[in-house]
Amino acid sequence: MNLPFDPLLASILVPLAAALLLLAPMPDRLGKAIALVGFLVPALLGLHTWWHFNAHLDAATGYAFMQPQAYDTGLTSLGISLKLGLNGISMPLFMMAGVVGLAAGLYAIQSKAERPRLYLGLLLVMQAGLMGVFASIDIFFFYFFHEFALIATFIMVGVWGGRDRGYAAMKMTIYLTLGAMLSLLGFILIYTKSGAESFDLIALREEIALHGLAGTVQNYAFGLLMFGLGILVSLFPFHTWAPLGYGAAPSSVSMLHAGVLKKFGLYGLVQIALPLLPEGALAWSPALLWLALGNIVIIGLIAIAQRDLKQMVGYGSVMHVGYGFLGVACLSTLGAGGVVLFMVAHGLSVSLLFLLSTSVYHRTGTFDMDDMGGLVKKAPVLAAFFLTAVLASIGLPGPGLLNFWGELTIFMAVYDHAGWMVVPALLGVVISAIYGLRAMGKVFYGQPSAAFLKHQETNPVTDLRWSERVPALVLILTLVGFGVWPRALTEPLNRTLEEVYPAVEVVKTTTPTVAQTAALPAAGLR
Amino acid sequence: MSDSQLALTLLFTPLVSAALIGVFFRKQPAIAKALSLVAATAIALLAGKLIFGTPDFTDKMEWLTIGPLTIHLGFLLDPLSKLLLAVVAIVGLLVHVFSLGYMKSEENQARFFGCLSLFMFSMIGLTLADDLIMLFIFWELVGLSSFLLINFYFEKPAAVAASKKAFIVNRIGDFGFLLGIILAYWAFDTITLADIAVKIGVEPTVIATSIALLIFCGAVGKSGQLPLHVWLPDAMEGPTPVSALIHAATMVAAGIFLLCRVALLMTGDALTVILWIGVATALFAGFTALGQRDLKRILAYSTISQLGFMVAAFALGTLVALKSGADVTIAGITGVTSGVVAAMFHLTTHAFFKALLFLGSGSILHGTHHEGDIYRLGGLAKKMPVTFITFTVGTAALVGFPLLAGFFSKDAILVLAYQYSPVVFGLLLLGAFLTAFYMTRLWTTTFLGKGRSEGADHAHESGPLILVPLIVLAIGSVLGGFAWFYPEALRAVPEAAHQLIKGEGHTPAMIGGILTFVLGSSLGFLLYRPGSSSDFLQTRLPVVYQLFEKRLYIDTFYDWYVAKVQQRFALLLNYIDLIVISGIAVRGTAMVAGLFGLAARAMHTGSLHTYVYWFLAGAVILWAIATGVL
Repeated sequence: MNLPFDPLLASILVPLAAALLLLAPMPDRLGKAIALVGFLVPALLGLHTWWHFNAHLDAATGYAFMQPQAYDTGLTSLGISLKLGLNGISMPLFMMAGVVGLAAGLYAIQSKAERPRLYLGLLLVMQAGLMGVFASIDIFFFYFFHEFALIATFIMVGVWGGRDRGYAAMKMTIYLTLGAMLSLLGFILIYTKSGAESFDLIALREEIALHGLAGTVQNYAFGLLMFGLGILVSLFPFHTWAPLGYGAAPSSVSMLHAGVLKKFGLYGLVQIALPLLPEGALAWSPALLWLALGNIVIIGLIAIAQRDLKQMVGYGSVMHVGYGFLGVACLSTLGAGGVVLFMVAHGLSVSLLFLLSTSVYHRTGTFDMDDMGGLVKKAPVLAAFFLTAVLASIGLPGPGLLNFWGELTIFMAVYDHAGWMVVPALLGVVISAIYGLRAMGKVFYGQPSAAFLKHQETNPVTDLRWSERVPALVLILTLVGFGVWPRALTEPLNRTLEEVYPAVEVVKTTTPTVAQTAALPAAGLR
Repeated sequence: MSDSQLALTLLFTPLVSAALIGVFFRKQPAIAKALSLVAATAIALLAGKLIFGTPDFTDKMEWLTIGPLTIHLGFLLDPLSKLLLAVVAIVGLLVHVFSLGYMKSEENQARFFGCLSLFMFSMIGLTLADDLIMLFIFWELVGLSSFLLINFYFEKPAAVAASKKAFIVNRIGDFGFLLGIILAYWAFDTITLADIAVKIGVEPTVIATSIALLIFCGAVGKSGQLPLHVWLPDAMEGPTPVSALIHAATMVAAGIFLLCRVALLMTGDALTVILWIGVATALFAGFTALGQRDLKRILAYSTISQLGFMVAAFALGTLVALKSGADVTIAGITGVTSGVVAAMFHLTTHAFFKALLFLGSGSILHGTHHEGDIYRLGGLAKKMPVTFITFTVGTAALVGFPLLAGFFSKDAILVLAYQYSPVVFGLLLLGAFLTAFYMTRLWTTTFLGKGRSEGADHAHESGPLILVPLIVLAIGSVLGGFAWFYPEALRAVPEAAHQLIKGEGHTPAMIGGILTFVLGSSLGFLLYRPGSSSDFLQTRLPVVYQLFEKRLYIDTFYDWYVAKVQQRFALLLNYIDLIVISGIAVRGTAMVAGLFGLAARAMHTGSLHTYVYWFLAGAVILWAIATGVL
């Protein structure tokens, strides 16, 4: 099916237009209807691009839905143009961004946020940015859309956030700005040293394939990207902004940031850094492996110690991105493919957990798990949904089949690349089960705590309402659907990876092995 | 319908039932019950069609491909999966019927039957899986169904704790299992069971031994072997039909099934470890059973002990062949060793009599208003005659009464032990002795003498829905030891087991088996007098009794580790994270933040619109600079 317009541009412009419309004075009901359209269109377009991906694929470039001419933004002299298109790596994420955006939007529409039109408007700005991030072939716009969404995030955390919102917003801003600046430096380094005089990823790739990029440049650029993007994805030990920020952020913002926007960093590593800078990546691989294990084991154990449900979900999310970094550090088709599957699964499941945690909060009046208990009796549907979310996030095949595929592929790649390091990585399987089931027990099972009983006297507990169920179901059905039928994502993904990644694997076989470089901790800056 | 379509229909029938119950009939227990029962009946019929009407086959379709890794979704139907499928279908159907009677006055019946259907789906998938990944997926799903059913009374803190324990302990085993799969994939380039079954001559390298032991980790978790056995007795918090189906007959046997599936990946070193874990578990659980007073807990330890026998049998088969230099596989069934035959045969007979014993104890609980303490029961022989007779048959089959089911399957194991080493033979005889001893204690205390509680005094016999499954299982427990009892399609394993029994050492094994049964039960009768209200061991040897009662303090040690080591370490890390990483490291950046703050305060007007306009203005100016307008 051919749409009469560019679906990628529309997925950015429609939410943006909806956001601008919301600035005009109007009744809240109409505002919500406009917002709904603004969230629904990107989701449908995301599914459209997935469904019709093969029909629109251009074999020469490996991209689909690319317009013959990039949009002129007046910056062509700098080598910047709004070039949109999807390959097998970005399409799954583009689709996921649309789906999670719809769920977050639906949840926000039914929430009782103050100044709802402004709230929804900023959320739509965020959504437009998210779609732009994954649709951009041009690295400048890839970066620009991320900043675009990030600024809306900061404002929303600072204004609509919960406890400690001022501190949280400030800390998030400092960390994320620092991360963004470092990665910008990395991108500029690639831009200037490649000789392509363009931010266009396809042109950069061709240029580098032709002329190569000096090893030292690669080391510096990958280092900048690894730490810059790493901070944005809460790489250990630069993670402390994340649980704090997610704890304070309004739930739809946590959903969109932890679920989608954060994937910017991992996506940038898989789509840009690894294919362009394989030698740099190889040098940094041991360091990245160790830090990723820090995410999995240390943050995982910290998640076990949490009393606050939302903090626990936040730490759990930080723990799981460690798998993503592990996959990146493997420098292989298998690892990169695992990361993409994992990102889609993690985006869907973590946003589901944030959504449901907030629904729990609305019934218990607290995020403190010691003041809950026995909620299943009053809210069995909420309990069933929450259990589904927990099981999905811990990668239990079934609800979390897609998570399982991602994790399994990553583990396979880690063993191939780094041998025994897969053992601590696999510990995450046990650790996540511990904190997940601990939360399930404290919140839903057993007898209600005294505090919760007291709260119930004045606030009778009802089960999950349909306005909450629908966004949750959108996430669950997508997660289970792609889990049962992963080929729908892996076929295009594998095709792109087989075009882009052989160069990465060649570097691995021609340069000294990891075991040798591991002996030099500062290998990256030799 | 092609073979694969038949298998798919069989697999998805219970899932459809579970989904329908979960989505539409949560509040209509009558419909839920009917649906679940129809599904169980359909499973029995479809499984019958698959077992009797379909030759062995394997079929697969691609699930996903990334780079060099391709994962398939496929089925493998062979004598082993047919046998387990038959056990699952028959015991599953009987437990469904039993549950109709047993659960009739419970709340949340729809949830119970929905979860039961989910379990059937998972277990059938596990049985038919054609490669290790698919086996692992359904392996995790049976774990999930088990979690949901142990946790059925989720208001009871004990049930919640037990379900959590079961899930996490199993995940520890699965950690090893998954690692084993990953290693096997890279080392042997195959995770397909059909390929493993013809892959003879695995070099006994360190990596091959590691793979064998790691996959065994999965079995240690699911089949309750030392040191991961701790979840199984606690799992008795679930409803009794669940204990019979999941925690006695089918799911816990999945570990044995897994071992049998990868029998040819085993190395001698790995098998020696496996043998001793099996023997140790068989003995440990036998002793521990002597210190328990709860009917179901005693049976749970008995299950652990019998699973230990199966694990030991599995290892013995190949070890004997390696010792004598003979071919490890036996003629007739692809990829099967004599250990596999002995283990699978005992698995089958055990499924009959242990499901019978659990359902029997369910009938007792039902008739006595949930009085589970054997020293508060008593005198049930007269009040519950059908339950008494069937339970007695089950007990006799378990302790190895000549010509009953357990007699033959235990005999096959003892023959293998005799061929391997006198020490193992002796230890397994001790295990058999213990079985007879603790089961006699249970039987005399529960059924003979006089009732010692109101529940026991007012005991009444259960209804037909409960009794019919008992009778059917009792028939299986009596005849299940003979090869002719099994239909042609299922006869391969029992027949091979009887070949085994006739092998070298069959006389000492049989004499040993009968002797331990006679000695164990006579001693039991002597020491545990009917009607006595106190335990012989507890009064005479309180120290020993306490050691058994406290399960050799293994659970206590784990509880200590979780509460005092793991949780404290997690809290310490949390503290370090909050203070050191966020505190000190971020203090440095706080100065930067201060500067930002000053600038921000100048622009701080309190109005949101202002922020948005600032943002827009900034973006426009930046663009203007970049495009050269300014």
